[in-house]
Amino acid sequence: MLPPTTVVVPLLFGSVAIGSGAAILAWRERPNPGATPLVWLLGGQSVWATCIIFSLSAESVSGTLTWTKLGWIGVMIVPVAWILFALEYTGRDQYITRRNVALLSVVPVLTVCLAVTEQYHGLLYVRAAGVTADGAVVAEQGGVWYGVAAAYTYLLGVLGIVPILGLVSSRATAFRGQSAALLVGITTPWATNVLYNAGALPSAGIDPTPIAFAVSGVAYLGAIRRFRMFGANPAPTWRAKEFLFDHIHEGAIVVDGHDTIVEINQTGAAILGVDADRALGASASELLPVSGPIQADGGRDFLTVGTESTSQSYDVTMTELTDRRDHTLGYVFTLHNVTRYLQQQQRLKVLNRVLRHNIRTEANIIQGYAERTADETAKTIKRRTMRIVELSEKGRDAIDLFEDAVGEWNQSSLDSLVGDCLAGARDAFPDVAFELDRPTEDAPVPDGAAVVVNNLIENAAVHNVGSDRRVSVSAWVEGDQAVVQITDNGPGIDEYELDILDSGTETPLRHGSGLGLWLVKWGTETIGGSVDFEPAEPTGTIATVTVPLSGSDGRTPAPRDG
Amino acid sequence: MASKTNDPAAHADDIVSRRGEVSASLAHACSRIKDVLTYSSAYLVFIAMVEVLTVHVVLSLPLSPAPVVVGLVTFSVYAGDRIADAEGDALSTPERSAFVTRHREALSLLTAGAYGVAIALAITGGPVALAITLLPGGFWILYASDWFPTLGRRFKRLKQVLVVNSAMVASAWAIAVVGLPLAFAEAAITPLSGVVFVYFLVDTFVNTEIPNVRDVEADAADGVSTLPVVFGIRRTRHALYGLDLFLVAFVVLTLAFGPLTVALAGAILVGLGYALVLAWFVGRTNAPGRLAIAGESKHLVVFALLLVSTAGL
Repeated sequence: MLPPTTVVVPLLFGSVAIGSGAAILAWRERPNPGATPLVWLLGGQSVWATCIIFSLSAESVSGTLTWTKLGWIGVMIVPVAWILFALEYTGRDQYITRRNVALLSVVPVLTVCLAVTEQYHGLLYVRAAGVTADGAVVAEQGGVWYGVAAAYTYLLGVLGIVPILGLVSSRATAFRGQSAALLVGITTPWATNVLYNAGALPSAGIDPTPIAFAVSGVAYLGAIRRFRMFGANPAPTWRAKEFLFDHIHEGAIVVDGHDTIVEINQTGAAILGVDADRALGASASELLPVSGPIQADGGRDFLTVGTESTSQSYDVTMTELTDRRDHTLGYVFTLHNVTRYLQQQQRLKVLNRVLRHNIRTEANIIQGYAERTADETAKTIKRRTMRIVELSEKGRDAIDLFEDAVGEWNQSSLDSLVGDCLAGARDAFPDVAFELDRPTEDAPVPDGAAVVVNNLIENAAVHNVGSDRRVSVSAWVEGDQAVVQITDNGPGIDEYELDILDSGTETPLRHGSGLGLWLVKWGTETIGGSVDFEPAEPTGTIATVTVPLSGSDGRTPAPRDG
Repeated sequence: MASKTNDPAAHADDIVSRRGEVSASLAHACSRIKDVLTYSSAYLVFIAMVEVLTVHVVLSLPLSPAPVVVGLVTFSVYAGDRIADAEGDALSTPERSAFVTRHREALSLLTAGAYGVAIALAITGGPVALAITLLPGGFWILYASDWFPTLGRRFKRLKQVLVVNSAMVASAWAIAVVGLPLAFAEAAITPLSGVVFVYFLVDTFVNTEIPNVRDVEADAADGVSTLPVVFGIRRTRHALYGLDLFLVAFVVLTLAFGPLTVALAGAILVGLGYALVLAWFVGRTNAPGRLAIAGESKHLVVFALLLVSTAGL
């Protein structure tokens, strides 16, 4: 039976009760990250404390020494379980392989073996050092391997604290609370163990470290129940960051302040044609042959990789990484494949040339031949030819819109934009009465809005076939938006046309009558605005265009679809 | 104008109304206590402690923490099992499943704490007592938890294996009930303790199969092979008759040729007669839950008879 020793003994019993109870709770939390290693940790602590109790209650010296030796099983389970717990709980479970666990277990297994066979070598000796006043045999331990085991235990203890410390600085308050509880749980036994080994604790020669682990048990229970350690687990955040970095379609390269690549994802390595592992540590400027200087935060340039027929072009973005004091830590380069976009650009340029020059030239030749005759047929030919020219000009406008859509819009004054549009319309449609209500407050707008307003005015004038043809244009500023409203007294826009416009596409059997309304739709989309049609009283249409005001630098970033 | 409070008739109505409220509250409280005792398996704790006390009396062992340890472990394992199977039990025992689900957090903490305290108490009995205390928990991991199948395809929850499941439960509890008082007393294993062990082993097996009749549909859906699932309820009843009659023969033989005393044999035989009557009700009652509780309560009868016959109470 146990001798009535110090208060340490009942505390040891308490540590077993708490440790084993907490182990059961942790067991029930499997397979949540960290639960299984926590079971081992608390189990190891309970074994340790139990062996101390049995060594104290042993009725012979040999019994005391046997239980002290067996206690090493629990002693050495704890640090391994702790490091595995810290890794798994913080989402670094990729390091928890069978091989790594086996490697981590080498020193503990050797320690237990050396403890059990200590009488043959003395590398880790366990011997009776005396008897307490209560009659309990006190065991003394030491030897070369004792120092190795202690150093190894402390090393794993510190290594395990490092990832947990990362949670303390987490932005998520719940994780900070959890990790603070865990830190209390783990630092208490380590500190107790250091003080015990330094002889600074009055524990009558009994190692009180397992008792301190009871504090750990309470802290873990608190972390489990109060902070919902396994309910709100930070493991996915770490893995998510890794997953995103590895699996995004863009190449991503992290460069430190010394031009050295410190991280690169598989896509980035594939783009640069290098092995990801070998690229680490290489010079960034050698691997990223971007012509011209790269500007931080949004500066762009194109990187072309490969031969002409199979070359791929990448939009390179460099983002500066800074610490909390705004000191530069490094840069993240992202490589976005823009090959198809550049090919599209080339095709648009060819189409632009065809529409701008070739169709007009051919139309002029046809008109020249038509003028040689003076009958009604010639007039029809000339009118129809002009229609072809107008269509080609609208097609050209559309191409201009698409080209500008991937760049940045220049700005125009709202007042001058509506004034210019109306002046052009008055020249083109002298039979229509135009009215302009200028904005009381002028503001900069993207000049792409001119295409929209021009087409709406033209649409209002050209389809207005009555004797009293009127088109009124009014513009004003509403907050950070400019509004242009075009009202006519014509027959109104056919619902069929608006339906097609809403559907966003045409088919050979279902199509509109021209390009004008499409230009209005595409134009408002590319400048980030909107257009709304409603019937006017008694007849006609009210078209309302809303466009965002340009930025203070006078340029509006165009929406990009990549 | 007389006030209402001075109206004798109204006053009497008030008293009647209050009495009604008090009795309703009492009934409600009793119902709650019954739910807690039944659904949390707390009644099993009491019966398990009585079983251990029976062993103390039969083997003439000094009183030890063994009954408390067994009680704590019983609560931890049974309530823990009900937490783990709460979803599956919704089919066979919906009220119990709802109770466990509603109090899952509290039950979880209590069961873990109970086992922790049981282990700490068992340490005072030495390594053998500790090992016996860990046995039901270890068996439960092999029996019911989903950990065992994760070891490989050939491993499946022993709860699903015919006879092995009930035999495992019976072994764990028979060892705990008989072994723990012996370990605490540091007493040697005697022929009488062997007889008591066999009695508790077979009896616990029978008591494990009785609730399986109620759970037959849920067990079949869960892939758990029990006697009712595999052989049907009628043959299960016959099997239980057979096991009880085997025990009757065993007790008579050990009385004739072994260490059993007349008082002990008489108490056990009365208990077995009670068990045979209960076996007749298997599959023939509309209250299978009560039948299971009645089966476990047999130990109260045996203990009471033992006290009367041996201690003269």
